[in-house]
This record gives sequence, C-alpha cells and structure tokens, in this order.
Amino acid sequence: MSIRIASSAKDTIDEAVRELKASFGIIDVKMVVFFASPKYEPDRISMRMQESFPDAAVFGCSTAGEIVSGRMLTGAVVAMVFDGESMGGVKVEVLENIGKRIDVGESFRSFENHFGEPMVEMNPSRYVGIVLADGLNGAEEKLMEAIGDSTNVLFVGGSAGDDLKFQSTHVFANGKAYTDAAVLALLKPGMPFDFVKTQSVRDRGVELVVTKADSARREVVELNNEPAASAYAQALGVSIDELRDYFPTNPLGLVIDGDPYVRSPQRIQGDSVIFYCGSVEGMTLSLLETGDIIEDTRRDVTEAENRLGGISGLIVFNCAHRALELANKRQSEAYGELFADIPTVGFNSYGEQFIGHMNQTATMIAFR
Amino acid sequence: MAGKIKQMIDAILARRADDNELLQRVIKTKLILKGINPAKYDEQSFDDPAIIARLEKMAQELCR
Repeated sequence: MSIRIASSAKDTIDEAVRELKASFGIIDVKMVVFFASPKYEPDRISMRMQESFPDAAVFGCSTAGEIVSGRMLTGAVVAMVFDGESMGGVKVEVLENIGKRIDVGESFRSFENHFGEPMVEMNPSRYVGIVLADGLNGAEEKLMEAIGDSTNVLFVGGSAGDDLKFQSTHVFANGKAYTDAAVLALLKPGMPFDFVKTQSVRDRGVELVVTKADSARREVVELNNEPAASAYAQALGVSIDELRDYFPTNPLGLVIDGDPYVRSPQRIQGDSVIFYCGSVEGMTLSLLETGDIIEDTRRDVTEAENRLGGISGLIVFNCAHRALELANKRQSEAYGELFADIPTVGFNSYGEQFIGHMNQTATMIAFR
Repeated sequence: MAGKIKQMIDAILARRADDNELLQRVIKTKLILKGINPAKYDEQSFDDPAIIARLEKMAQELCR
C-alpha cells in the first residue's frame, strides 16, 4: 500500500511534471491530486499531468502558495499519488457554471453508478469526498449545501487561489482547466481516514445575531437589529473608523458545540459588513480573537495522528489568510515543519470546506 | 400550540442520522448552517409558522 508525494519548482511545465513523475518512482498509480502555482499555464499543466498518468484519476487546482512535507512553497507544483491498494476506488466529476446554478444531481448519479450505491446510503466511514472550487465566484456555500443535502459522506476541500491576485482561479480534471467550476472527487480509500478542521481563534463571549443579511452577496446588513458595522465595532469597543483594523485579528464565527466556523470580514460597505463567507438571518455569530496558529495546528494534527495510529498521507487546505498571518509573524517555516514527518501536500486556499464553507481555517484529510 | 419544531428537527435527525452520534452532530451542523439551531427548541417552544415553513423546506432538501 503506497501513498507518495513530490514537489517541483521547475520553471517550465514539462520539466516540473517530469520531475514529479520521476520522484514518485514506479507504482500502480490510481489517483493523483495536485496543486499548482498560477505561474504554470492552467490548461497545459492539467493536460500534461493527465498525460503523464493516463490510467489514473488526476485532479487539482491553482493555489496561493503550496505545501509539501516540511515546507511552505511558492511558484511550485505539489502532488500526492495513491496506488491501487491505497485507493480502492475514485470517481471525479466537474460541475461547471456554478456561479449561475448548482445541481449536483448528475455528478452524484455518476458516483452512484461507479460505486453501485445510492449517495444517501453511502457509509461516511468508508467514503470521503474532496471538493475544489473556483475561489472567486462566491458559490461555495450553495455548493456545500447541495452536497450536504444529498449525502452523509463528508466532502472536504478548499477554494482555488491565484497568488492573491484575485483575477482568475482554476480547478483541474480530465486533462483540462476550468473556471467558474468545482471538482468533486469521491474516494473509497483502502485504509481508515480522519479529518482535521483547525482554526486558531478564541470565543470572546460576545454574541451577535444576524438580523438582516443578503447571504448570496455575503453581506451582513444588521447584527442585533443594529447596522452591522456599528454593532461589530461596539462589540469590540472601538469606533467604526477603527473597525477594519481589527478585521484580521477579530473575525466573527458560528460556534457549534465549541467548534468555530469562522466568517472573515472583508470590508465595510455603507452600514453593512461584507464577509468572505455567507451568513443567514437568525444565525448567532460570536466575536472571535485569533491565537497561535502553530500550536493549535500542532495539537489538532497530533490528535488526528493519535486517533488513527499514524498518518501515511495528509492533504491540507490552508486558508491564504492564515498563510499571510504566518508570513507576517515569520512563522511560515515553523508551519511547514509541523508536517515534516508526515507525507503531506496542500495549498493556500481562498476558503475552506468542511460540512459548510468557512474562512481562516485549515481543513485536512488524513489517511492512516 | 407548542413542540412541533422540535418534533420536525427530531424527525430529520432520525431519518438522516439514526442513532449515529457523529452523524447527528453533522446533520445538526447542517441545520445550523441553514439557519435553524436545534438547541434553541424544546417541547415547549412556540410553533412559529415561519420556522415551521423553513423546516418543511429543509426536510424536503435533507430527506429526499
């Protein structure tokens, strides 16, 4: 049973893909998941990756930085391959035009035909999904809701990036690159697996109820029946003029049984606050305060390692906001080192997915 | 009238999660993300028609 990882920072796609393939050695490759810097032309890297592993399911996305065991990278491509024993089954589907309409029906029927089981009856301890979405069209909430309505299988993932240019992000599958799209991959691993959802925030014990919102636009209009910007500033004890300075360190979050689903504020618009993630009316959000990413991540990954009795492969979807904070604190190297002893690939994302869509979080799939 | 909201939430949980504790937590999280927090409702909760209508829609989505 084999899971292998590789990375390359070569300048040309041909050289990078060749280096990746050589690093893996010869194994019966069943699935390849890869995350590529936007420096690589999207259509071409997807095509070359699929050509290099013609019998495998090959999928991935563009990034705002890459992660491989022991290191955080930029301008690189990282990949993880699974052989036939470590990945019992895999089926990849692409949902296009997700900015207009999301219907997972056809993709789910394809999964059902492939695995011979209805999605709603699939055992979530035997199947896991990976979701990679365009990071710029704001469709992730509806996408995750549509997935979650139709299956108990957990889909975990991240939103594609473009090195913080916020111009164009891509998902890869079938040798092609797509925008305004999501890749859904349903996996039946050959070993036990577990999840990590880690965020470094503390609940400050101040609750703000969303009393008016436009969730599709990720706009919170009112909190506690007051203009959102004013209520948010008041909760922090600062003026509205000062509020934006507190956005990076004091996001809001939906706290469920002590577990925060972070909503990062983006900007003030009139009296409203626009977030990187939608909230619906009636939701109770808590005022949060950021903490120590290194120690919190170390704890949560170690706990997963202990639950599984070891990790042979870890896929990390790490918020680009966390990556920025780590860089500002000169902790990027320390963060990469958290994964030094675990075969790991990942990328810095424009949003993270686990049951729902969230921000300032790292979601991970750990294979024993 | 009271308690219908809790009954509807319990029916959704039974249909999608049976007695599986982990799945129950996942389905509760999905309901909260849709805007209904199960912890806020018990047998004495007022049968708010707006909440009941939202739950009917959620039941359709989650229990097809």
